[in-house]
Amino acid sequence: MSPMKLCVPGDKLCSVEDCSPGTGVYLRHGYIYSSLAGYVLRKKEGEELPVISVVRETETQLLPDVGTIVTCKVTSINPRYAKVHILYVGSTPLKDRFRGTIRKEDVRATEKDKVETYKSFRPGDIVLAKVISLGDVQSNYLLTTAENELGVVVAHSEAGAQMVPISWCEMQCPQTHTKEFRKVARVQPEFLQA
Amino acid sequence: MPTDTKRLRGPDVSKSPSLYFSKPPATVASHGPRADGRQRDQVDIRPIFVRCGLVSQAKGSAYIEAGNTKLMCCAYGPRETERKDETDMKCGRLITDMRFAPFSCPERTSWIQGTQDRDLSLMLQESLQPAICLHKYPRSQIEVNVMVLENNGSVLAHAITCASLALADAGIEMYDLVLGCSMRQDGASYVVDPSYIEESSCSSDRENQGCLTVAFLPSLNQISGLQSDGEMTEATLTTGVRTCIEGCYKLYPVIQQALASTVRKAAPPPSES
Amino acid sequence: MAAGFKTAEPLEYHRSFLKENCRPDGRVLSEFRTTTLNIGSISTADGSALVKVGSTTVICGIKAELANPAVETPGKGYIVPNVDLPPLCSSRFRPGPPGEQAQAASQFIADVIESSEVIDTEDLCIERGKLCWVLYCDIICLDYDGNILDACVIALLAALKNTKLPEVTVNTETSTPEVNVEKRSLLHIHKHPVAASFCVFDDSILIVDPTDEEEKLSTAQLTVVTDEEGQLCSVHKPGGTSLSGEKLQECISRATARQREIQKLIDKVIKSIKTAK
Repeated sequence: MSPMKLCVPGDKLCSVEDCSPGTGVYLRHGYIYSSLAGYVLRKKEGEELPVISVVRETETQLLPDVGTIVTCKVTSINPRYAKVHILYVGSTPLKDRFRGTIRKEDVRATEKDKVETYKSFRPGDIVLAKVISLGDVQSNYLLTTAENELGVVVAHSEAGAQMVPISWCEMQCPQTHTKEFRKVARVQPEFLQA
Repeated sequence: MPTDTKRLRGPDVSKSPSLYFSKPPATVASHGPRADGRQRDQVDIRPIFVRCGLVSQAKGSAYIEAGNTKLMCCAYGPRETERKDETDMKCGRLITDMRFAPFSCPERTSWIQGTQDRDLSLMLQESLQPAICLHKYPRSQIEVNVMVLENNGSVLAHAITCASLALADAGIEMYDLVLGCSMRQDGASYVVDPSYIEESSCSSDRENQGCLTVAFLPSLNQISGLQSDGEMTEATLTTGVRTCIEGCYKLYPVIQQALASTVRKAAPPPSES
Repeated sequence: MAAGFKTAEPLEYHRSFLKENCRPDGRVLSEFRTTTLNIGSISTADGSALVKVGSTTVICGIKAELANPAVETPGKGYIVPNVDLPPLCSSRFRPGPPGEQAQAASQFIADVIESSEVIDTEDLCIERGKLCWVLYCDIICLDYDGNILDACVIALLAALKNTKLPEVTVNTETSTPEVNVEKRSLLHIHKHPVAASFCVFDDSILIVDPTDEEEKLSTAQLTVVTDEEGQLCSVHKPGGTSLSGEKLQECISRATARQREIQKLIDKVIKSIKTAK
């Protein structure tokens, strides 16, 4: 295998007739140019044109976008919404903190009017959520947990122990056996292995 | 004069010993070879040394050394914008800050940022902005901080090159690298990549005196920033710009190589599966 | 998932290492990071030094200027240290005037200079009541990964040892100073203070040379400054949990050992510069 080609931003990679653009590249006057410093990667799938991308050792700068699943930590709650810090986009950690908001009506899909934020999250909980909007000038990213797979994944009880989920809305402390309310995420098998 | 209450202050007045030198400072000859042995009237830039990724805390960083001019640049972001009122939903913001260390110039400079620093920061921002794919970073900001550790001329030009390296190291998507080069016109002759003394001295009160700094996108063949001080004829200015572009092309392979070696060092190539 | 554990539960992550008597970067509890030193790299400064402790990088540049001595101390010069933590060195610092931490660090350095008597300010006097030197010691952090106080003290000491001042005489007729650039002499360094910083974890575990992460999660911080005679120059403990006398003794003896290591390093680097010439 020949050593992989390296490129820097602005390098002309090929014509659009040879490849179709992937990530880390941009189009200009019918040619594909690199927009990152990294390795040139060509992927061929079937009869179509190969996809050309530029990849780096670390994932490229991901920003939370509409529809992506993010992992966040609850920082504060009030009756109308919970404030969170977004830690991960998909499986890529963010180096800088982005703030998000989970409004009361976005906590779960059913019986939205009966949601109480205090019975869904507590500060310090690790929550899986989905981005529904980038927000407007005043607000942060708007997130939702209104799906079975979304919600609290890690929470600590008042005694400080990590709690075990017992239903979709309750978790139990292994030390004191007290039950606390949470909007619990249905744990996905791939997370159990990790 | 604003007093600085947040720093330790020395005496109210202190003077640099250079004011009392018993010997007059050497003047710069306006013809013949330059003090550091480079050629006049030729695109003779100083050899540069560049390194990327030195700062552990920054997303991307670069250090550049050209002769005795030493600068460091860090890039942070994209992160949440601080100024909510200016949040742009479609496009990111680029924030630049360029500072001189107090010991970077022959005369000690104050900690408080002067107008010169602010002008340079703005010029840096304007030169870099066209090269960055800001539309890919909605409602976030990208920060570029430059610290001049030692100033021996052509600071802005090298700051531009250094900043674009730091941005590339940070993995910020860019249309092209940005390279900077400057020249000093002194009457009929000129010097490229001037040193501090060459920048500030003037052989006599002749016409056609000026400094020119060009920021250039080498692959797109576009100029993203141009600053000219002094009074130069139109013909001089156009040839000056061309000279600077030539200087940028001389830098290009060095910069490309430095970036490539950083990428290689950071990780082995991914498998082609 | 290790990276996930680290960002989500940093405190638990560190505890799991400390339980095994080691730290996330592979050091044992009482181990300093590799310290490297570069002296005299800035030619525009009268003296300079660049110090790296692990990734923490600090540069110190000294500029000497002439001034009138203060009326209350006619026979003394000035030393003006300032520590700057620019936004360049970490994303936590904002541009603008120095923050609390930078101000505290500047004051700490000033206190170390005064209490250790590293330089006799009377040496900086050129003519009593008329003319003296001001040494502006500007210390800039270029990479903030914890424990900057140690790095600042080393940088300052190394830069002072590198500082050469030109000879100045006062002309008796015109009473203006005359500077002879040809004749430069080194400063006289009386003491070699070196700092050693510690962090207290969970009120009991003591770790040396903390990184930024460790500093953030610790319950208390402590910096001990000693000189080559094993004399204590300064003990700096800004708040936090209490510390037993035994533990403090332990810190002090570790600090004296550190002092010897650093002084050896500085001497070695200065020697290598001399032989290079």
